[in-house]
Amino acid sequence: METQEAPKQPPRAEPVKSTLPQPGRPVPSRAYPGALIVVEGTDGSGKSTQLYLLKRWLEIGGYRLHFTEWNSSPLVKAATRRGKQRRLLTPTTFSLLHAADFADRCERQIMPLLQGDYLVLADRYVYTAFARDGARGCPQKWLRNLYRFAPVPDITFYFRAPLEVAVHRILSGRPKLKYYEAGMDLGLSYDRAESFRLFQARILEGYDNMVESDNFVVLDGTLPVNKLQKQMRDIVASKIDLKRFAPRAAEAE
Amino acid sequence: MPDPEKPEPEKPELEKLAKAKSEKDRAEKLEKEKSPPAAEPQPTLAAKPGAAQPEEDSSQSFFGEPLVGFDPNEISGSLIVIEGMDGSGRSTQISLLQEWLESEGFSVQTSGLRRSNLVGRDIDELLAKNAVTRLTLALMYSTDFFDQVEHRIVPALKSGAVVLADRYVFTLIARGVVRGINRDYLAGLYAMALRPHQTFWLNVRPETAFGREFRKAQAISYWEAGRDMSLSHDLYWSFIRYQTMIKREFEAMAKKHSFVELDGEASVPTVNKLLRQRIAEHLGIRGTKYAPSSALAHLWR
Repeated sequence: METQEAPKQPPRAEPVKSTLPQPGRPVPSRAYPGALIVVEGTDGSGKSTQLYLLKRWLEIGGYRLHFTEWNSSPLVKAATRRGKQRRLLTPTTFSLLHAADFADRCERQIMPLLQGDYLVLADRYVYTAFARDGARGCPQKWLRNLYRFAPVPDITFYFRAPLEVAVHRILSGRPKLKYYEAGMDLGLSYDRAESFRLFQARILEGYDNMVESDNFVVLDGTLPVNKLQKQMRDIVASKIDLKRFAPRAAEAE
Repeated sequence: MPDPEKPEPEKPELEKLAKAKSEKDRAEKLEKEKSPPAAEPQPTLAAKPGAAQPEEDSSQSFFGEPLVGFDPNEISGSLIVIEGMDGSGRSTQISLLQEWLESEGFSVQTSGLRRSNLVGRDIDELLAKNAVTRLTLALMYSTDFFDQVEHRIVPALKSGAVVLADRYVFTLIARGVVRGINRDYLAGLYAMALRPHQTFWLNVRPETAFGREFRKAQAISYWEAGRDMSLSHDLYWSFIRYQTMIKREFEAMAKKHSFVELDGEASVPTVNKLLRQRIAEHLGIRGTKYAPSSALAHLWR
């Protein structure tokens, strides 16, 4: 999966930090020529909307990209559904199942595409697990180890919205919160909305704790959509050499 | 390998320590600080500030981290693990031991790989389709393992039962390591696993195992032969090489985790007698007399 030879592409401005090594060995700097852009944030922080708009911008520009979502591998879908329906999931197995899902996408899509010089956009990444599973009581040390095979993103956008704003967006838009979504398994409250609020508060705290250590680019989730998108595009353009992902232009050179 | 693990003096006591409660807390903690959990680390990697290593300060009941939301003081039963390669006679011995223990008045629960309600069947499907990468498979197995720990093993241990585990984290670690997954990674993954009270290793030669397995199904399965590893196009050699690699991992772990190694080549009654003696000692059973009922007599050869 991991190559040791240095790729032939020109080096990027931002070297990859190897805090999350491969299972076999740490990901060396520039182990792959592609770039990874991640969005994180609580439910209702606006991150998915923003990533969609970023994706449209890049797609329209003809850039080589791949979009991937948290918890979307068909591999473990049946198991996740079963576990949720029958409420079999504990903090540990919930976490492991998501890790298996991520490992599948990582080994079969994310890593190969990064190696193949693609721009990979991820809606939620390992930080979701660190914040969410941490809120469920899994030890951080264990979680960090669990995901140490994950390549470190080139940019991690953290869409920060105050708890009340995010909770209101979700509660007003969704008729009924699901059991695990509301964090009912934590036994914080019998009221789903209240449980959701308490659960999200813990997750928010988990994210806030990672801002420094994991180099999050913090964006204000309460700003108007188009303003936020402008900020996001400016940051992407300044941090990533986008030209390299436009195949037509590259061929012409 | 340049002595990655030094046999430590207090090693033989590990089982007893795990059984005894608070008084021996400190001794155990010391022991744990010296030896990171499960599988000895490669010397080069061990020194790195990897996520899963030192400063372990948790219950003696676990390899490392305590299981989320679990109080080890609630345990009154015993966890007994039988490890060994395919064809080493594990399942036969477990059937016999279960009958013997029940006849002695012990409540028995069993566990084994791919038996969880959560993902047991999913793993079967993945294996059948052979469309899965090594890390994903390892994590599916760990999900399966922890689901059984939380829904089967721990409840049984809380109720005072004897849990007979047909394979345990050691097999899962060995399989991962031979496929190139970092030892420390796997050790960290299983840091929340309960430390067994006794671990038996039925050691057989791969050649013997091959014969036994072949006789069972008149075939050798893809995974038993480690064919995903492209070791040989020849089925027999693939099996032998793969199982030899696994066996080497077991040899390394045997010292570290004080396995009770038994000669799996011996006859079923002989191996069973040795198992009964050790288990009787652990559980405080006086006699070890046992003859299988007619239902299990066919295993007694």
